[in-house]
Parts: sequence; C-alpha cells; structure tokens
Amino acid sequence: MKKYWIGIFGQVRAQQKRFVRDKMALFFTFLFPLIFLLVFGSVFSNDSTSFNIAIVNNSQTEFAKSFVKNAKENSKDSILKIKDVKDMNDAREKMKRSELNGIIELPSDFGAIKNNGNHPIPTGTMNVIYSKGSEQTGGALVAVMNQITNSINSQMGQPEAPLKAVGKAIGDEQLKSFDYMFTGLLTFSLMSMGIFGLSNQIPAEKKRGLYRRLRAAPFTSGQLIISTAIHYTTISLLSLVMMVIAGTLIFHFNMRGDWALFVMMSVLSAFMTVGVGLLIAGLSENEDQSSSLSNLISFPMMFLSGTFFPLHLFPEWLRSVAQFIPLTPVTDGFRLIMTEHASFMEVLPQFGVIAAWTFAVYFLAIKLFRWE
Amino acid sequence: MKLEPIIKVDKLVKTYDGNNVVDGVSFEVKKGEIFGILGPNGAGKTTTLEMLEALRPIDGGTATIDGIDVAKKPKDIKNIIGIQLQSTAFYDKLTLREQLKMFGSLYGRTVDTEALLAKVQLTEKAKNYVEQLSGGQKQRFAIASTLVNNPKVLFLDEPTTGLDPQARRNLWDLIKEIRDEGITILLTTHYMDEAELLCDRLAIMDSGKIITIDTPHNLIQQLLARGFKKEQVVEQANLEDVFIDLTGKAIRD
Repeated sequence: MKKYWIGIFGQVRAQQKRFVRDKMALFFTFLFPLIFLLVFGSVFSNDSTSFNIAIVNNSQTEFAKSFVKNAKENSKDSILKIKDVKDMNDAREKMKRSELNGIIELPSDFGAIKNNGNHPIPTGTMNVIYSKGSEQTGGALVAVMNQITNSINSQMGQPEAPLKAVGKAIGDEQLKSFDYMFTGLLTFSLMSMGIFGLSNQIPAEKKRGLYRRLRAAPFTSGQLIISTAIHYTTISLLSLVMMVIAGTLIFHFNMRGDWALFVMMSVLSAFMTVGVGLLIAGLSENEDQSSSLSNLISFPMMFLSGTFFPLHLFPEWLRSVAQFIPLTPVTDGFRLIMTEHASFMEVLPQFGVIAAWTFAVYFLAIKLFRWE
Repeated sequence: MKLEPIIKVDKLVKTYDGNNVVDGVSFEVKKGEIFGILGPNGAGKTTTLEMLEALRPIDGGTATIDGIDVAKKPKDIKNIIGIQLQSTAFYDKLTLREQLKMFGSLYGRTVDTEALLAKVQLTEKAKNYVEQLSGGQKQRFAIASTLVNNPKVLFLDEPTTGLDPQARRNLWDLIKEIRDEGITILLTTHYMDEAELLCDRLAIMDSGKIITIDTPHNLIQQLLARGFKKEQVVEQANLEDVFIDLTGKAIRD
C-alpha cells in the first residue's frame, strides 16, 4: 500500500514540475480565465439600472431652458444619463441603434406661463419617446419623469397628491448581476479546466508512447488516474482562487454565504469535473477522439446546467433533463452558497449529487482506461 | 561452469488474426549472460520480448523468470525486470535526475540518481532535459532508467538501432559492464556485428520460430564444418575497422 502511494506522488511531483515549466499550460490556467473574467465582468458589472436618454427641446421658454440645464448638471449621479444629440432625427437614429433608451421631447409650449388663479406657474406636458417593443424601459422612464415633475410641482407649491405608492427593496443588499454571473463563471472555469485541459494532454501523451514506460513498471491505471486527479484538481482550484481574488478586487464581488462551505463545494466540484475529463481522456485513443468527445459532453453540460442561463427559462421537460447533468448541482450549489447565503443543510442535496457523480465518474474512468 | 537458467521459455505462442506470430518458441537464458535474439524485422522478436515482460498476454506455452510464472504473476515479474523499449519516449520538461526519481517511484523505491547517472556517464547532464540529449546519450539514459529497481533481468529491444559506430561501441561496453555486475541481459538485434561481439549466446529467429541456439563462435564453426566457404577471401579488416581507426573510439555526444 505504501508503494502504491509512493508511485502516485512520484507522478504528482513529475506533473507539477512539468506544469510550472510549461508556458502554454500556465497561460491557459491563469491568464486565460482572467481575460475571460475581465470581459464578462465588464459586460455584467455595468448594472443597467440607468437610462441613456436625449432631451430634444422645442420650446423657447425660460423654464424649458433651465429644465434642460438642471437635468444635464444632475446627470452625473442620476440614473438618467443624458447624451447630446443634434435634433430629433439624430436622436431617433441613435435610439434605433440602442445607443439611447428613450428621448424626452419638450414641445414648443412647454413651460409656458399660465395664470392659474393668482399664481403664474409654468405648465406643459413632456413626451417620453421609446421604441416599440421596449415598453418596460418606456414605462420605467415615464415613471422616473413623473417623479421628477411631481417634485418640481410640489416645489412650486402644488399640494401633494392624497394617495401615493412608494417602492421599497427587501432582503440582503442588492444582488448585482455580476455576482450572479460570477458563480456561473466559476462553474465554467472548473469545467473547462477539468475537461478541456485534461482531455488534450493524456491522449497526446498516449500517442507519444509516454505511458508505455510506466506500464513496463508495476504501475496501475488506478495510480495514474489518482495522481492526475490530484494534480489537476490542485491547478483548477488555484485557477479558481485567482478568479475569486480578481472578482473581489476588480468587480467587488460580494460573498454572501459561508467561505468554508464555498471551499468544500469548490474542492468536491473540482475533483468531480477533473474526473469527467479523466474519463474522456482515458477512453480516447488520440486527441481527435478526445476533443470531439469533450465538446459533445461539455456544450450541453454548459447550457443545460444553468451555468449561463437560469434554468427557470427552460421548458419543464428540459428542466427535468438538467437535473441529471453533473454540472447542475455545482452551479446550484455555488449560487445557493454565494448569493443566497445557504446553510450546509440547504446545500446537502447538491453535495450528495456531486459526491454520487464523483464515485460514478472515477469508477468508470479507472474501469475504462486504455493505455494506448 | 554450469549456471542455472533464470529465464525458461517453453513453446510460447502469440496469435494475431489466426497467424502464429510467435510459433512455439522455447529457450533458456542462463544467469549472468547476454542472450541475443537475432532476426530480421517482423520475425517476432519484439512480440516474444513483450510477452516475457508481461506487456502482452501469452496465448500459449509458459514462461518463467527467476521461478515466477509470467502469465500468473505479471506484477511480480515487472518488479524484478528492467525494460528498454524499442523507442522509449520520456516526459518532456523534466531533468534526468527528476526522471530517475520518478521512475524509481513507479517501483515504490528511492533511487541513488548520482550513482546511476555516473554509471552511464551522464553526471554533467543531470540538470538537462531528455529532449536536449543526443541519440547515444538518450539511449544510455534509457538504460539507466531500466536500472532504477535493481532488476535481475534486463530486456533491451534493439538497443543500438540508429546510433553511430562510436555510440554503439560505447553502449556495448556499458551492457557488458552491467552483465559483469550479475544482471542477466536478453536483447534483440538485427545487427550481425552486435550479435557476434556482444552476445554470449544467440537464438536466430525467423517467421515466429527459433531456428538455432548457440554461442556465436559455435554457430560459425558449425557452418564451416558443413563445408561453407566464402567466395572471396576475407580481408583481415573491414570498412568499419577503417572508420573506427580513422575517427577513433571516443564517444561523440
């Protein structure tokens, strides 16, 4: 038994040394996921709760002019980002290209003074223009503009409306879309490290005849699989740690749950996904076989496990299929822990399913391994 | 001097698609000798060797090494033998010293890497990668890697193929040194000079069968006794002797 483990750790050490000397491998382990994170992170960290709008002023009144001026001055810390346009046509063109979410049009009589009783006050109706099909944005924009006009009205001494509705957020601090996407990105990183990294290397080494010398010794396929699993689990966890650090420093990722639970989940998940890669790599005779097999397995896995698209968007039958995909409990587990503050008991089902997959995958990997 | 046979092979058979690639091969190898299997390509030399190394299943007959049945206890066999494959591929980006340690770990052993590297004259290359070695150095390193488990029997499959004359002679000396330490060596070759100069005894193999077994000297005497005469009188030296005389014996790595 002792000799068994000496053999395993001899391989682990050899693989680690080769890994740190391999610039390509280092790039794909550390730099590539970081680039990926930066791209995805900058897309998603830009929470789209702000509106890009243009104001087209057709009115010459003092009130209209000061309204536009005030709006522009307050634009910085407001959810309304005001963009410059030449005229209405230019604004519409920009809205077509989605550069603008909406246009505020001030008609020519906007701000005209009307004598309402004894108080001369400016009046007018502004038009909120939005594209057909983006009613949600339009509705939100109308609500925002109503709020602004209401506050101007009350400043001008208009009585407050007797009935009002006010929105209030509940729960933890706001969940940023980056936080949600980040958990998916971690799952994706585990999968690509486990499946794509591994399934290339082992068949390439088979083809070069590297394993023939190992086989000439009393060294078993089980030992080779365990040693490779140790090595690859370590590096995919290192890659994960680096992503978590970058996510926290650059995008202010907000960890809601328990770090210890997150670590346990990561280690088990990394070990399991490496097992999937080992199964593919062990089965395949060469790189062609392994690359088609790993694409065949990883793409449905990626899309059906909820890594990038929330599962509730899927039809019922597809959701039940998704439950049988090994990556689904990983995605769910990360989300539950990292964004929903789940306790150990709450993620116990996910741990259970991942553990079951781990056993199945390693059992098959050792059984079906081919030396050449 | 009567030496005990350490390898006993009895009517060994390997069948592929109904053809007997190895067809009832029997021979014995004595402890501490260099035994060569000489034959053309495709004669079944490598297949025979791989069956003895427990790398290929034996389809018929029996083979024992040091009293251990190869078919029944392949793992025990692998522990007491060293194997040099016809073309050994090594891990890249791993120094010679690291490679030897890794090979030792396969047997659950720690290796005296310095002594091994010194034996094959590669001490100053200890920190180099295998991909930086010349053909002759690589072959010597391959032999060092077969010695990590102090084997009783060493299998060498065409050890000098592709080497220049100096490197071949150097390797022959190394193989003889290893024999003199008491390790039995079974090798295959298709070079006549190698068979004649290196091997203590020879089996000549063709089409899966062993035709004859004896010492190189006896085989030549038997041929002459049958009245064989070369058409031309042989000169007392050949072109290789000229080459070695002019370029020297020193190894060129």
